[in-house]
Amino acid sequence: MLYPIEREMMKSVGILTTGVLLLMAPLARGERIDFSRQIRPILSKNCFACHGPDEKKRKAKLRLDTREGATGERKGGPAIVPGKSAESEFYLRITHSDPEEIMPPKKSKHELNAAEIGLLKGWIDGGAKYDEHWAFVKPVRPELPKVQNGEWPRNAVDHFILARLENEKLRPMGEAGRRVLIRRLSFDLTGLPPSRAQISEFLNDQSKDAYEKLVDRVLASPHYGERWARMWMDLARYADTQGYEKDNTRTMWPWRDWVIKAFNDDMPYDQFTIEQLAGDLLPEASSQQVLATAFHRNTMTNTEGGTTDEEWRVAAVKDRIDTTGLIWLGLSVGCAKCHSHKYDPISQTEYYQLYDFLNQSADADRGGDDPKRALPSPFYLSQHAELAQRVDKLRSKLAGLSGEQAALKAEFAKLSRELNDKVMKMKPPAIPVMQELPPNGKRKTHVLVKGDFQSPGTPVTAGVPKSLHAWPSQGPMNRVGLARWLVSEENPLTARVTVNRIWARLFGIGMVETEEDLGTQGELPTHPELLDWLAVEFRETHKWSLKKLCKTMVMSATYRQSSQIKDSARERDPRNRLLARGPRFRLEAEMIRDQALAVSGLLSRKMYGPPVMPLQPEGIWKTVYNGSNWRTSKGEDRHRRGLYTFAKRTSAYPSFLLMDAGSGEVCLPRRIRTNTPTAALVTLNDPVFTEAAQALARRVVAEGKDQRVAARLAFAFELVTGRLVQEVEMAAMLRLYEDQFKHYLEDGKAAMAIASNPIGPLPEGVPVTELAVLTVIANVLLNMDEILTKG
Amino acid sequence: MTENERYLQALTRRHFLTRCGVGLGGAALANMMGNLAQAEEPRVHNPLAPRMGTLPAKAKNIIYLHMAGSPTQLELFDYKPELKKFDGKICPKEYLDGKRFAFIQPGKNPVMMGPLFEFKQHGKGDTWISELLPHLASQADELCVIRSMSTTQFNHSPAQLLLHTGDPRFGSPSMGSWVTYGLGSENENLPGFVVLASGGRTPSAGKSVWGSGYLSSVYQGTQCRNTGDPVLYLSNPDGLDRKTRRRQLDALRELNEAQHRAIGDPETIARIAQYELTYRMQTAAAKVMDISKEPKHVLEMYGAQPGVKSTADTKNVGDKPLAAASDPAFANNCLLARRLVESGVRFVQLYDWGWDHHGSSQPEDMKTHLPVKTRQIDRPIAALIKDLKQRGLLDETLIVWGGEFGRTPMRENRGGRYGTFVGRDHHPFAFTMWMAGGGIKGGLNFGATDDIGYYPSEDPMGVRDLQATILHQLGLDPFKLGVVRSGLNSRLIGPTEEGKVRKEILG
Repeated sequence: MLYPIEREMMKSVGILTTGVLLLMAPLARGERIDFSRQIRPILSKNCFACHGPDEKKRKAKLRLDTREGATGERKGGPAIVPGKSAESEFYLRITHSDPEEIMPPKKSKHELNAAEIGLLKGWIDGGAKYDEHWAFVKPVRPELPKVQNGEWPRNAVDHFILARLENEKLRPMGEAGRRVLIRRLSFDLTGLPPSRAQISEFLNDQSKDAYEKLVDRVLASPHYGERWARMWMDLARYADTQGYEKDNTRTMWPWRDWVIKAFNDDMPYDQFTIEQLAGDLLPEASSQQVLATAFHRNTMTNTEGGTTDEEWRVAAVKDRIDTTGLIWLGLSVGCAKCHSHKYDPISQTEYYQLYDFLNQSADADRGGDDPKRALPSPFYLSQHAELAQRVDKLRSKLAGLSGEQAALKAEFAKLSRELNDKVMKMKPPAIPVMQELPPNGKRKTHVLVKGDFQSPGTPVTAGVPKSLHAWPSQGPMNRVGLARWLVSEENPLTARVTVNRIWARLFGIGMVETEEDLGTQGELPTHPELLDWLAVEFRETHKWSLKKLCKTMVMSATYRQSSQIKDSARERDPRNRLLARGPRFRLEAEMIRDQALAVSGLLSRKMYGPPVMPLQPEGIWKTVYNGSNWRTSKGEDRHRRGLYTFAKRTSAYPSFLLMDAGSGEVCLPRRIRTNTPTAALVTLNDPVFTEAAQALARRVVAEGKDQRVAARLAFAFELVTGRLVQEVEMAAMLRLYEDQFKHYLEDGKAAMAIASNPIGPLPEGVPVTELAVLTVIANVLLNMDEILTKG
Repeated sequence: MTENERYLQALTRRHFLTRCGVGLGGAALANMMGNLAQAEEPRVHNPLAPRMGTLPAKAKNIIYLHMAGSPTQLELFDYKPELKKFDGKICPKEYLDGKRFAFIQPGKNPVMMGPLFEFKQHGKGDTWISELLPHLASQADELCVIRSMSTTQFNHSPAQLLLHTGDPRFGSPSMGSWVTYGLGSENENLPGFVVLASGGRTPSAGKSVWGSGYLSSVYQGTQCRNTGDPVLYLSNPDGLDRKTRRRQLDALRELNEAQHRAIGDPETIARIAQYELTYRMQTAAAKVMDISKEPKHVLEMYGAQPGVKSTADTKNVGDKPLAAASDPAFANNCLLARRLVESGVRFVQLYDWGWDHHGSSQPEDMKTHLPVKTRQIDRPIAALIKDLKQRGLLDETLIVWGGEFGRTPMRENRGGRYGTFVGRDHHPFAFTMWMAGGGIKGGLNFGATDDIGYYPSEDPMGVRDLQATILHQLGLDPFKLGVVRSGLNSRLIGPTEEGKVRKEILG
């Protein structure tokens, strides 16, 4: 028997061998050996640890990561003599027969195979050409590749995809049906299934641009912001607690609401970046711009007894550097905190130069998380507006009252005064924000020897790594400067990283699967030219608009394909890296839960505000200092969207955790999908899902027009899947219905339990057996592969 | 085998061959060369299939008993008659200068404190063991007591993370994840890595100490609980019995097969298998977790009491649970641990909370409450060793016991004062752990500390050594077990070469 999982682990995993899997992208066609794709990965894996960028670990003063290093004069001749492998010490050593002499040395546990040696020989004989790592070269918009099937492409994206498919002798699938398309689009752009009304509007739209109109409607939905905020919260290591041992509650949710609104307003990504990294330093910073900077205050605070604040302040600053690197540069700069990077050209000194930019904020791991500011968040503003409106209404009514209605008038006046007082007294909660130290109180930054905060080494000042794009001549050497540098048009990385990330959310896997690492150890892109085309389009044409970027992707024929798998494609491309079919993969944890709530009619669409506590099994929160308790929210707050669920770092919401969500402790660049039995237990048995099944059963009875059994089942099926039931599916449901009807007729107690616990007393006039059986069937429907999956 | 299963097997073989690096070697290389057909038969079809490590394994399973909060070595294993002489004397300055403690305030003249309890020597190795652990003392010949442990972290949460994940910061996989990643599980119907917690709290570092970090979440620990479902969401909803569940899964299978016919996605078949496995796990887990069927003499040997609720879950003093000697939670977990390894669970991790005896409150009083905690664990641990031995399982099961650091030879003077209660502060520089079974030398006293127990004086052993030795005993090469990530070979033992397999303690 086997243990099915969807995507086992990162590309680089290797246990007995060290990470040998690579090259999802085909080797370049033609004779020339491609340095970036074929040679650098071999060198990087086998040689750079001792002959790479890390000057401290460099052996024999030889570096092979630059051409100068490899071909430069040395005692006994250059390591590599271009054009002449037989004269190259490098080649002689990798083919040496003496186990003492062979490179890589035995104790490194690396070994070159015959094919790799052959490639290296060919490369040296061809002139040992070095290219810069692809991701460090600024993308330019490539020409659209020519394709044979000129009918298929709908936009530029399709040219790139189709060209590759034609090259591989694969054919794309036709367009998926409308019901499939609207479900796919709704999940991708809003994280929710489409409503019945939305489905029928689309189905009934006969116009030629019906799909585009649908895309525009979905992009305009307020739920769009919630969907992408959830992704951003993973990256920003969002949580509602401080972390570490005490893990006390802290107020961060106004920032989460800022993010939702920013996505909904389609704030350009460069502005979105600058405001979160340095909104406080912008000229005449608005309250919203300061609120945005809570982004980097999502770092953990250690309030355990006796901790040295400085130690954990340093840890937080490092976390900010690492997170910034992962999100915007797609580089793991983190390892350079202890030593120079072994593979990517970032020295330890350069790491601490970056660190200096973020080392100047006033926060210092203090228990109270200050500096904090009380700033009007979107939640506050919407509440405030609503109350103010009510005051206005009262006042205008008051004005309309005549003199005879004195008692009423007084009553209204009192009400209006009280309400107005309430508005005036409304105070947004204070939340941790970034605040710069005064110019005369700046910290001195040192290289920290081995990363230890107690071992300051050479002093350094702010700067960016030499191997990345240059610092603009006028940029201020502070956080704003850094943020602008990240989104400058000279930056080869940010646009690519962002495009790749969005692509991965829509298509299941990024063009570079290692979304967090576009560096030399990362995977090579499956479609390098498409990635560059989209990066340039995003920055130049769309002016950093994420909505426009999404639209470009979802309007493509590539996206609109049916996800049906033909045998040839299953053999040739089991993971759909080439996209000869539409994307199909398991939904995210929150989407699965939100969907169950939505189709059963339980979902609250209320936006913003403090985190909520939906049903959670007893005894989950047993952390050391749990002054705080899980108190199940009342009313609609029990059924809010997943992203509003209280996130405690030491004890994440269990059903999300079991479906690959993170705990908010560190930046989570992507979730690795798994399908474990413990996750199946969630959708089968979690009271949240039981309640959804019960609600769905009641909804079917209450809203169904036709009360016959088959009609009810068909209705339930349609509510859940968004499509019409097929004959075999109906037969399966009917068999279960008949069988279970007998069972629950005999066991009234069980029927009552399954129909009402935990949702509550039965509605009047509906037989309990009926509801029990419908609940059992709804439970099945909510576990269908089709439902757990975006098809 | 049904057609689907055959298909699935063929498919998953390919699927793991192309996607998963576990144990690939030649296969991965062949894949890289685009020559899939010639790839060697992969050893791994699924991420939790049992597999061999690269080294000969001495142990198949591990039971790791972590005493969260960190028990005092000076009252339990590291006997210091010399320290007695200094009892009540002001601690010399050189022991305080430049040191960081959690609560001891160096300027406020903390005093030295001699051992609070008596010791005797036991077994063929003349092992010093405290009067607080009489049952365990009877098993002295099985124990390898390591008195020279040290760590670099002096707060609970980072120290626990360092010990169990190899990194004091969050985000790395735990030891149990690494082990199941390397070796899979022997029982496909049970999780490969099970966590059992007692003492009323989970460890300070939260669930990260059994998280899978950057490895797939397939490898994360599954917490089995004392109250409610033993595994989260294990029981069917109220009013839905096992027969109905079977019928549901039959219908679900039909629906999924229809979906598979329409779309042809192999993942749909994998989904069917996932649900069938879940169904079997519901029975298997419930069965193995039910200790009530154990014979009376076994229950008595452990002091286990099936179904008795832990008092630590309900009884608090201030914000701390108050331990009671009668609380059977830890004993129940020890018995469960035996049942789990017997059923093929690879890594059983016990966390017992309540060992942070600072002397700042009643639950943390070393004089009165340490004996309560030792009462809770003494008999069950001894029974566990005996029981495994009787069943011939001790040789293949490695038992590890210890906290995340040690406790100071000084009496803690929180706030510069001494009150009613007595205790010791966190001490990262020296502490005691012991191991038993699994190819470790029994009756061995390894390493020693100086006269007052401040620093190791013989055979110092760091956390990295401990991790390396544990992996080694399970047949995993601690230097190779890793994934390349962020340009670093990320491993349990960390990126540097400081960790060593301590051959001196191997049998």
